[in-house]
Amino acid sequence: MALKGNAAIVGAAQYRPEKYQTAPRMFHLEQVADLASRALADAGLKADDIDGLVINGPQFHEASVFVPAMAAEYLGLNLNFAEVVDLGGCTSVAMVWRAAMAIEMGLCQAVLCVLPARMAPLGPDEDPAWMARAMRYGGHSTAFGAPEAEFDLPYGHMGQNTGYAMIAQRYAAQYGYDPLAMAKIAVDQRSNALANPDAMFFGKPLSAEEVLASKMVADPLHVLEIVMPVAGGAAVIVASRKLAAKARHRGAVIKGFGEHLSFKSPTYAADMTRTPIGPAAARAFAMAGLKPADVDAAQIYDCYTITVLLTLEDAGFAPKGEGMRWVREHDLTWRGDFPMNTHGGQLSFGQAGSAGGMSQVIEAFTQISGRAGERQLKACDTVFVSGTGGVMSEQGALILQGA
Amino acid sequence: MSTNKPMPAPTDISAPFWDGLTRGSLTIPRCNSCGHWIFYPRRHCDKCWSHDLAWHEVSGEGSLYTYTLTRIPTLPDFADEMPQALAVVELDEGVRINTTLVGLAEDEIRVGMRLKPVFDRVREDGGTLLRFTGIDKTIAPKRQAPAAEQPASAAPAVTLVKVPVSDEAAMQALVSESFTAWSNEVVVDQALIDEFARLSGDDYWIHTDPDKARKQGPFGGTIAHGALVQVLQSRLKIPLGFEVIGFTNMVNYGSDRLRFPSPVPAGARIQARARVKRVERLKSGTQLTLEVHTHVVGAERPSVINDLVILYM
Repeated sequence: MALKGNAAIVGAAQYRPEKYQTAPRMFHLEQVADLASRALADAGLKADDIDGLVINGPQFHEASVFVPAMAAEYLGLNLNFAEVVDLGGCTSVAMVWRAAMAIEMGLCQAVLCVLPARMAPLGPDEDPAWMARAMRYGGHSTAFGAPEAEFDLPYGHMGQNTGYAMIAQRYAAQYGYDPLAMAKIAVDQRSNALANPDAMFFGKPLSAEEVLASKMVADPLHVLEIVMPVAGGAAVIVASRKLAAKARHRGAVIKGFGEHLSFKSPTYAADMTRTPIGPAAARAFAMAGLKPADVDAAQIYDCYTITVLLTLEDAGFAPKGEGMRWVREHDLTWRGDFPMNTHGGQLSFGQAGSAGGMSQVIEAFTQISGRAGERQLKACDTVFVSGTGGVMSEQGALILQGA
Repeated sequence: MSTNKPMPAPTDISAPFWDGLTRGSLTIPRCNSCGHWIFYPRRHCDKCWSHDLAWHEVSGEGSLYTYTLTRIPTLPDFADEMPQALAVVELDEGVRINTTLVGLAEDEIRVGMRLKPVFDRVREDGGTLLRFTGIDKTIAPKRQAPAAEQPASAAPAVTLVKVPVSDEAAMQALVSESFTAWSNEVVVDQALIDEFARLSGDDYWIHTDPDKARKQGPFGGTIAHGALVQVLQSRLKIPLGFEVIGFTNMVNYGSDRLRFPSPVPAGARIQARARVKRVERLKSGTQLTLEVHTHVVGAERPSVINDLVILYM
């Protein structure tokens, strides 16, 4: 499969990450409209240029079905393509390639990909107890008949932290473990956040000692190796080459993509330490006709430090089993030899629900369009972006290249 | 054990597995067409999609694929098992199972170690969970049925330093940034909560209706009244290490601060610790502020914070 390179990210908008308690509450539809207008303004396109929509279905506040139609009506759009993506933290990457495919196939010319992630005003039947109940088991399904409800919850297997911790523990047993290298991932990303005024942890330096002294949540993961959930939301506009030529900024052309998943719980993975990003990234690089060494930057989904480590290995940047040594030997900051998560990553930028992964997509576009300010890379033409959902369950890769 | 812990709800598909556990037997389905073992149970083979499956009893022996120790409970209800050794066990048949390890010290746990099953009866109706322990371990898992009335452990013995209330320097020296050791433990079960509801008149369903609380409440079941946990302080013997003497009258003057930061689920064990926050000389006597924190055993966040003011006259 080959892409013609006929689709590019041409506009983006993203709410500054904020604490849930102090962030404005907006209906998700209103966030969609607001983010869409901002992304459109960033692109310099008109509302009636948009004829495609990719949106989240799960966790959409105002409805759980018919979300695209409701959004089209609310926004006032005529759509030739509408899609809902349900891939957790992989959703952002997945949205972008679906939009690109629709454009390459000639279905439409400009697709809005949008993920509202601020809280909405509570309805008459909703209260904080309802929220707490909804959050009680993290991403686990509690529905009768769901195997998770039966075989996981009674033992305390729930949420994300312990799943990622068990992956890290398995990795440690197979390949060895260097807590300092893991801390360095968080520290290098924090260096990047210090050059990003929008980041949640802007102005707050971090040392490896602080990471290792932070509270152990589930061995071997410390709290500073885990993302902080924040309120936010993001949108990008993917447009055809013809429209991209009219856009205000240099577009980020979708040159390759890949996606892979086969389980929800890593317990049932063939090999817990060989993650789905392996086949996804291999496909993306093959499609783009590029190698990992060809990229100028990597924006790697980082819900946990271990996610980054395994992605570096399985996507082909570091040799398998040697990721920790590799991390020690490379400078992952925007000044370094392997610029990674140059916005701070979600670990230092903040994770706005499933829009968290959009921060990585948007940072790739920001760098390619030369608007990253202090942290702008000198040369940035080709960027690898990854997305990860669930517990390393569903992963996707994008190769973006400057137009 | 907290009674709000999630429990399996067997389906037609999974019932043979859970029934097997209640008989002390581990049974899993196997594909008659391709020989593939299947876990968790389903009606087709996830390898060849045949529907020709049969249940087989297996030894349950296997090895530890991976694990983690939870330093923060994944649900407040698991605070009494902290740290939990959440584990993935690979049976010799090749299937993997999510479970917990029991009867093993933290430093005995190794990825790859040999394990055998422990049939842990957690419900009076026979409901049994499948846990694992070291292959050479003989000890049964230590999960006793909650003793309703009896403290789960005796109050630690301490030598009391007698402090005369008139000795201002000695009184001031009691003020401390650090807390005492933990008190004995007390089980807060549904019967106790119901009794308090009757006495106080606060019979709100979140405390008294386990079924409704499980379905509609935010905590997966009933929780104790904050006020109940507060007064249970009297049953918690905190090893303060001192005894104030030489006064004619001692008055519980109330509380400067009373907070209920986290719930106590029905069935949970609680314990307390304290520190002397302040000692002040007043016209009416000497006022000592004791900051008491009551926690669910193993929980980091207190359930009750009470700055108790005691006046010695």
